[in-house]
Parts: sequence; C-alpha cells; structure tokens
Amino acid sequence: MSGIALLKCRSCGHHWQFRRAACPVCAAIEPEAVAVAGGGTVWSVTTVHRAPLPEWDVPGGYAIALVTLDEGVRVMCRAESGLAIGEPVRVTLRDGLPHAART
Amino acid sequence: MAHITGVAVTAFGKHAGRGPVDLMETAALAAIGDADLPREAVDGLVSGYATTYPHLMMGTVVAERLGLKPKHAHEARCGGATGAMAIVLARHLIAAGACRHVLVVGGENRLTGQSRDDAVKTLAGVGHPEHEVPLGASIPAYYALLAARYLHEAGATERDLAELAVLMRRHAATHSGAQLTKPITVDDVMASKPIAAPLKFLDCCPISDGAAAVIVSADPSPRAAIRLAGWGEAHTHQHISEMPDDLGLGAKVAARQAFETAGRKPSEIRLAGIYDSFTPTLAIFLEALGLAPAGGAGKAARDGRFGRDGALPLNLHGGLLSYGHCGVAGFLAHVVEVVRQMRGEAGDRQVRDPALAYLHADGGVLSSHVGLVLERAA
Repeated sequence: MSGIALLKCRSCGHHWQFRRAACPVCAAIEPEAVAVAGGGTVWSVTTVHRAPLPEWDVPGGYAIALVTLDEGVRVMCRAESGLAIGEPVRVTLRDGLPHAART
Repeated sequence: MAHITGVAVTAFGKHAGRGPVDLMETAALAAIGDADLPREAVDGLVSGYATTYPHLMMGTVVAERLGLKPKHAHEARCGGATGAMAIVLARHLIAAGACRHVLVVGGENRLTGQSRDDAVKTLAGVGHPEHEVPLGASIPAYYALLAARYLHEAGATERDLAELAVLMRRHAATHSGAQLTKPITVDDVMASKPIAAPLKFLDCCPISDGAAAVIVSADPSPRAAIRLAGWGEAHTHQHISEMPDDLGLGAKVAARQAFETAGRKPSEIRLAGIYDSFTPTLAIFLEALGLAPAGGAGKAARDGRFGRDGALPLNLHGGLLSYGHCGVAGFLAHVVEVVRQMRGEAGDRQVRDPALAYLHADGGVLSSHVGLVLERAA
C-alpha cells in the first residue's frame, strides 16, 4: 500500500484528508479511516528555492506538489523534480512524508 | 451608515528601534488628527496583531497607549485581510449603535524587529501543521502553487505576471513613503533570483516596518463624504490543500456581496485597491473580479489600463509589491490611498474624479476575503 490514509464518510462516501469529526459535505459523524493506493494527478507543483528554515535549504531546491488523488482529495506532497500539471503520479510515504513520483 | 473620516499611513521600510505599538501610535494619532476629532470622540478600537509582539490583548494595549477609553476594543486577526475585516467590524459596531467613531489600526516592525528567517517561518505557519508545514512549504511556496495553477489555467506567462510587479514599482516611484522605488523592467523580474517556481524575488512583496490607521464614523466628515457603501466576506478554506478548484471563488463571493450591499456594479468603479502580496494574487483577483479578462491582467497592465490615467487606476501608492508589506497595515495602506484619491488629495498621483472605488484583500492562501465598496457623495 501507499501508506497514505484518508477519512471516508460512511454516509455519502466523500473522502478527505484533514482530521475532522464530521463529513464536510453531509455532516454525518464518525468517518472511517481508509488506506488508499495513492494514484492521482498533479494539480500544481513548485520548486522551493528558499525554505522556511535555513537548515531545510537544498541546492537546486526541492519540489512540492498538490496532487488530486483518485478519491478526489487534494494532498500536498514532496515530489520528484520536473513534474508537470496534469501528469499522473503515485503518492507514497517516504521518510514519513507523502512523496509524488511518476507512475 | 458608516463613513471613512480619517486616514493615515507612515512611510514603509525600516523604522529601526520602533516597536509595533510605537508605530500604531504614530498612525493612529495622525488618523484622528486627519478626521479632525477630539481624541475622546473615538469610542471604538479594532487593532491588528503583530508577529513581532504577539500580545493577548493588543486592542487594549493600543487603547492604553493612546489614552483612549473606548466602549469597545479588541484585536482582529485574519492575516492579510485583517485591516479590511476590521473596517467591516467597525461598520457593524456603528450599525449596532455601539460606537460612533471606530479607530482601525495596524502596525508592525516586521522588517527590523525579527530576523528574515523568523519572519518566513512565522508566515509559513498559516499552513496545516500536520499535512503542509512539515513538507517545507513557505508562504511563497503556497502562492507559487497558486501561480503555477493560474498560469496553467489562464494561459498567461511569467512575463505577464512580471508586468504587475513593474506597474506597482512605477506607481511607488511617485510616493515618498514607498519602500521600493527603483524602476524595474519585466526582464529584471525574470532575472531576479528564484524563490519558489514560478515566483522570482521581484514577484514577491518585501517585508516592511510601518503602520496605517483608518477612522470609521457614523457621520461623514464635513470635508468629504466617503461612505462605506458595500462590504462582503468569504471564507472558503484555510489551507491550500482544501481550497476550491476555482482559484477566484472566494474573491467572487466577497465581491458579489459587496456590490450587492452597495447596489452598484463592478463596471461602475473608477479606482481599485487590490491586495497584491505576490503578482499572481493580483492577477487572480483582477480576473476573478472581472476587472481584467481571464489570463489578461498582465497584458492590461502593459496596455495602461491600471495606470493613473487608465480606465481603472490601481494601487497608485505602489501596493504591497513596492509600497511595502508590514502585516495588517499593508492593506490599510491601500485604503488610505483610495480615500486620499477620492478626496482629491493625492497630489501628483491624483486620478480624475474617482467617485466609486473597490477594495479587496485576502488572508491566508486565498482563504479569507473581504471586499469594500467606497462611494463619494456628490
């Protein structure tokens, strides 16, 4: 598995990522935690040349992407370099962080 | 009815040795003087926050410093939209009959009161603590993700975005209080150091010290009746991970409400003050608000639409991108410029007869929006 977990509404089937007790669409409570395969497409992508903490700076920068998972949920990930918007990717956990790479 | 009766803004840049309360005091006293009010007439106060002095009760701190005994005082927090939000709150306090003259004030030594790394780290904290901040995202990175998506959807180019930075610098050159006044070109923007692709250094606003204040009153000032005719808010999300697919949705919702409450149409406005933390912020707003065609904000800037003599003069003081950005006072400077223009007091920057103006700010990552319609009585 990808290691990526989402929450899923038991009532309407809507998926989301952030911790919350009730479905943001239908307000049903007690969502279930689900593991997902991590497939998705790049919604946007950047290369950060100036990190928020100097010790995080990497020569050449590091890529961050927003990926729309197949479940319809947008998640922020570290990413392999050179990804383009619309490109299919798979998101997996790498060193504890979600990471998007070409399929 | 609520009116803007007093405005003041300091120069933005470095005010070494002066703290947020010092800076707010300067702007507040100037705005009270501008409104020609005795200090004791100010019976309400909404202050901004300061990242360099995160006090629990900034509203009360400012009231004490100014020697005010207001019926209402508190500190508002809504990121870059705080100043505009505070003006809406002032209007609501007046409409409720709670206050007659509300001081809205923001100020901060964001440039000299902390290290640049501390400023970047603090701002990055608007991201999600679990799912965004640990990835090493920064405020420029969040806006870079918006910028990349905007360029993809709108078919605009990085050079188009650069036009907006060039325009703001040109405007700032005409204002003695602006932080950045050296002329720049599109090529300069393109050649400036990369921050978070596609944003370069000159696509980003500077960090500044400074302050600004606005007095919102029940009755108009005898010298110019500038009425807060319309106001609107939208809060579509906090984190970019959860933002709507439509980049301009929050701006559209807030603007629609603002124009509806004013009973006016966007096509009627003759002056604009639009939040411009990064060049894509400004492009997304101008296009979402219908003030430029989709993908066409940069071209419209190049063609002179937003200049002093253009069809829709915009941020004539230089905006956040060149007048500067010191937090809550950043957008209040837009309000000050629009009000001075509407009063005919803008000197060399004065536009022709701006009787109706629109102001728009966002906080977070296009998260919270406030739109204001200002109307000058005939």
